[in-house]
Amino acid sequence: MKNPRRRFLSLAGAAAGLVAVAGCAKDAPQDTWQPAGPNAEMIDNLQRPVFLVAGIVGVIVFAAVAWVVFRYRDRGQAIPEQTHGKPAVEITLTVIPVLILIGVAIPTASTIFDLAKTDDTQMVINVTGQQWWWEYDYPAIGDNAAKYGLSQPIVTSGQLVIPENTKVLLRVTSRDVIHSYWIPKLNGKKDGVPGRVHLLRLEGSKPGIYAGQCTEFCGLSHSYMRMETIVLKRADFDAWVANQLAPYEAPAEGTLAKEGEALYIQQCSRCHQVNGLADAEGNLIVSAPEQYVVSGAAPNLTNLMTRNTFAGASWDLLTQECRDVVWKASADEFGAKYLAGVSADCLNQKDLREWLRNAPEKKPMYVDPTKLQETGGKYRGMPALGLTEDQIDALVAYLLERK
Amino acid sequence: MAIIERPSTEIAVAGGATVGVKPSEALGVFKRPGASNSWRDWIVTVDHKKLGIMYGVAAFVFFIIGGIEALLIRLQLMGPDGKVLSADQYNQMFTMHATTMVFLFVMPMVSAFANYFIPLQIGARDVAFPRINAFGFWCWLFGGIFLNTSWFLGGAADGGWFMYAPNSSTLFSPSHGIDFWVLGLQITGIASLTGAINLIVTVLNMRAPGMKLMRMPIFTWMALVVQFLLLFAMPVITVALFLLSFQREFDATFFDVAAGADPLLWQHLFWIFGHPEVYILILPSFGIVSEVIPVFSKKPLFGYPIVAMSGAAIGFVGWGVWAHHMFASGLGPVSVAVFSMATMAIAVPTGVKIVNWIMTMWGGKLQFTTAMLFAIGLVVQFTIGGLSGVTHSVAPSDTQQTDTYYIVAHFHYVLFGGAIFGLFAGFYYWWPKMFRKQLNEGLGKVNFWLMVVGMNMTFGPMHILGLQGQPRRMGVWTEARAGEGFFNIGFWNMIASIGSFILAVGVLMFIINIVYTHKSKRVPIAPLDPWDARSLEWMTSSPPAEHNFDAIPTVNHLDEFFHRKYAEDPNSHEIKQVASAEEVLADLNSRPDEHIHMPSRSYWPILVALALPIICYGLIYNRLLMAVGAAFLLLTMFGWAMEPSTASDDDFDPPAPGEGGGHTKELAPLG
Repeated sequence: MKNPRRRFLSLAGAAAGLVAVAGCAKDAPQDTWQPAGPNAEMIDNLQRPVFLVAGIVGVIVFAAVAWVVFRYRDRGQAIPEQTHGKPAVEITLTVIPVLILIGVAIPTASTIFDLAKTDDTQMVINVTGQQWWWEYDYPAIGDNAAKYGLSQPIVTSGQLVIPENTKVLLRVTSRDVIHSYWIPKLNGKKDGVPGRVHLLRLEGSKPGIYAGQCTEFCGLSHSYMRMETIVLKRADFDAWVANQLAPYEAPAEGTLAKEGEALYIQQCSRCHQVNGLADAEGNLIVSAPEQYVVSGAAPNLTNLMTRNTFAGASWDLLTQECRDVVWKASADEFGAKYLAGVSADCLNQKDLREWLRNAPEKKPMYVDPTKLQETGGKYRGMPALGLTEDQIDALVAYLLERK
Repeated sequence: MAIIERPSTEIAVAGGATVGVKPSEALGVFKRPGASNSWRDWIVTVDHKKLGIMYGVAAFVFFIIGGIEALLIRLQLMGPDGKVLSADQYNQMFTMHATTMVFLFVMPMVSAFANYFIPLQIGARDVAFPRINAFGFWCWLFGGIFLNTSWFLGGAADGGWFMYAPNSSTLFSPSHGIDFWVLGLQITGIASLTGAINLIVTVLNMRAPGMKLMRMPIFTWMALVVQFLLLFAMPVITVALFLLSFQREFDATFFDVAAGADPLLWQHLFWIFGHPEVYILILPSFGIVSEVIPVFSKKPLFGYPIVAMSGAAIGFVGWGVWAHHMFASGLGPVSVAVFSMATMAIAVPTGVKIVNWIMTMWGGKLQFTTAMLFAIGLVVQFTIGGLSGVTHSVAPSDTQQTDTYYIVAHFHYVLFGGAIFGLFAGFYYWWPKMFRKQLNEGLGKVNFWLMVVGMNMTFGPMHILGLQGQPRRMGVWTEARAGEGFFNIGFWNMIASIGSFILAVGVLMFIINIVYTHKSKRVPIAPLDPWDARSLEWMTSSPPAEHNFDAIPTVNHLDEFFHRKYAEDPNSHEIKQVASAEEVLADLNSRPDEHIHMPSRSYWPILVALALPIICYGLIYNRLLMAVGAAFLLLTMFGWAMEPSTASDDDFDPPAPGEGGGHTKELAPLG
């Protein structure tokens, strides 16, 4: 009967190996063992020794089981003494784990409080989840306005842009169900709960794109609620802010994009805000998503093409080659590549057109008019608009200029 | 010769005369059901052993249903952008998989063992409240069926098994799935509560002479702790479910943020129930392996009092750790730190058990039967789950891992590698007791190794998936986030999916083993004491007669049966067998009890239970139907209350055979 022993040894080895190598993955965008900022590093400094200790304890236990199974298998020995226990052994083997756990508890407690600190905040951003995308609102207050050039609020979605080495405090909440904001390489996750504001520190020490995903189950399209955080050098961040706050530029008369603008006003502007967009009489158009959508919000599309994902960061606005150029850029080159936004050549036409053609087919949403009694006719998500291919051409041309 | 008695109607009245009463005539309802060998006997039985078997069979059917749901989930996640299930179907699938495995498989399978073996282990003839026992079983079964009918009535619940508010409100889940879920669990909850009270009273009041608490077999101990956990945990979830159903059915606003509610209320209520629930699921299996390991080590359980007390300690501390499920939900740092420390503390009594199992085997004479293999499998796999549990107690680290596949890996190591392996150890160990035949050991070993390989291949890679950032409850994953190299999540999702099918084949081997054992003519009747066991349930015939023991034994030791078979030689201090199991039993039965008082069968438990799903269907679809169900409930409760505890022989249906003595009969000697 040697099988069990071999099995246990291999199990023990596998467990130890797993702990040792789990941090070695390459290019895993959501790897929890590759911190890229001080908050995630604090967690990492804690979890590595804890996993190691757990692994060692595991190996000792498995070795003990393997030894016992091998040594005391029935080889015809006499019936053993009917002992009921040895207090010294039991006390020792109880005290040892207690001591190990005390050793784990002390750094754990101090890290918990370190990660809850808010008195060193340099920038505040409101982060709001709703089915199934994230909205970011940069308030034009305090240091945001005084030090980071946020003379006006910026409202964006999907990709959160923050300056490098800056202690950002996210004020996380939700407009409908519970969501959770999580960028593994920058910090642990924090739930966005409707009616509550939770604080989450975020800081990136190297420019780049950091992927994340909503991790609290939030209904039908939970799988399609992704997000990224973009870390930019300070100068690049300033350029990003200036671009976000630049005034609206209407498409030139007679272009396809101009047709697209009219179509946008007619079809999209009820829910999707484009700052500065005006109707034929010159009146500014203010969207009113609260009339049509349960959460009361829809992504602001003023600068859609400065982001490179859409629809809850679920699809790329960039083609695969252009995407790789940005996502795999070195820290030094990343800012320029990101700020270039989406050009006509780089636009991922396929996914954007499929989305405009029939959004709920691409991403499951509650838009079936026969099932909206509970919501008073409001959608949860974006309905199919029934656009013709010509109309889609025009809209794509218009959206391409939103950068 | 012992006499089995049904209570007689001969009521003594003042003056010494007796008056015969026929309750069925008086009340115009059923005669009391008499004994028969037909299927009807299973409907009306109040025998704890029959109810245990029915719990077991029905729970196993739900195990297969939950398993098929799991396989569909793994098929969907086998590759990127899975198309096997729609988003809606996927959400229903993982919700019902968890609900089924927790409430319709592990909990009732524990009830099966607890029902069957607690009375036998403590030397009792039945549980304290046999009709309520039957009522509990039917409630659970009807609740489970009711819950699963939602698949055919517009879709099952889709909110995840912890059904967080406000996603569970009608606004966000307009189908009736969650209505079925809430009401179905409410019905099955009645079974848990009545069962808990019943078994607590049974253990505390009906132990054989000399069976002190600290002489009780450890399975009974763990099951007792679990009944207390149920007694206090079920009311919490019952309240939470009522709040949710009031919100869904009657527009109450308990979790409506717009009306000022805080959705974290649900999370606290759910996990105050939900964390003790974890121990409700695992402690009975700890009890089972604490029976199996000593038997196949030929040694008493090492540190019996410490194992018993650490079980109780887990039961207490288990109430103080619920918020470790909520480390990301925005509790303040003080709460997080407190629950983090409490969670570390509970690792100590849990670790004590692991140590004690290993120390029990240390110096023993180990026989690797299938039951023993499953028990050792639990020790090893639960250790992995326990250690990953300790990593969760480190709250900052947990905010990286919670709601990822790392958690899925953790709780499947605890609940599949732990709880379910323990149940399988119980199947193989107690099968000859319940069904007179030993399951085939060869097939059993195949069963075990396939399950070990399948289980570790399925859930082992999930550690990697979670640490690579794959969240749970996602119906699709995308190549763009999969990463590259050896640890890309595509590869490990594939391995996990393949593993799940190996696991399924492993479970299939168990079913094949059952069929082979009971269909093949070559499998002999099992001996009375096939494992050289240690506790009282083996000190009677297999399967035990309805009254369990011809003579209730007097208990002088922990492991009483072992001590009747073996004695220490005073000179050489060697342990020598002094009597065979047959001799011990013959000796016990040589002085049978004179009057054995057994409860009568009843129609009422199943009828009262039947009223509950009618009410619930009515609540969902038609208030008139609800009123009909309520009327039925009242009438059947009235019938139950009026059912006399006494009835004459001719007031049984079928009437008692022979000359009036059918229900009061002489015992055939046990073979």
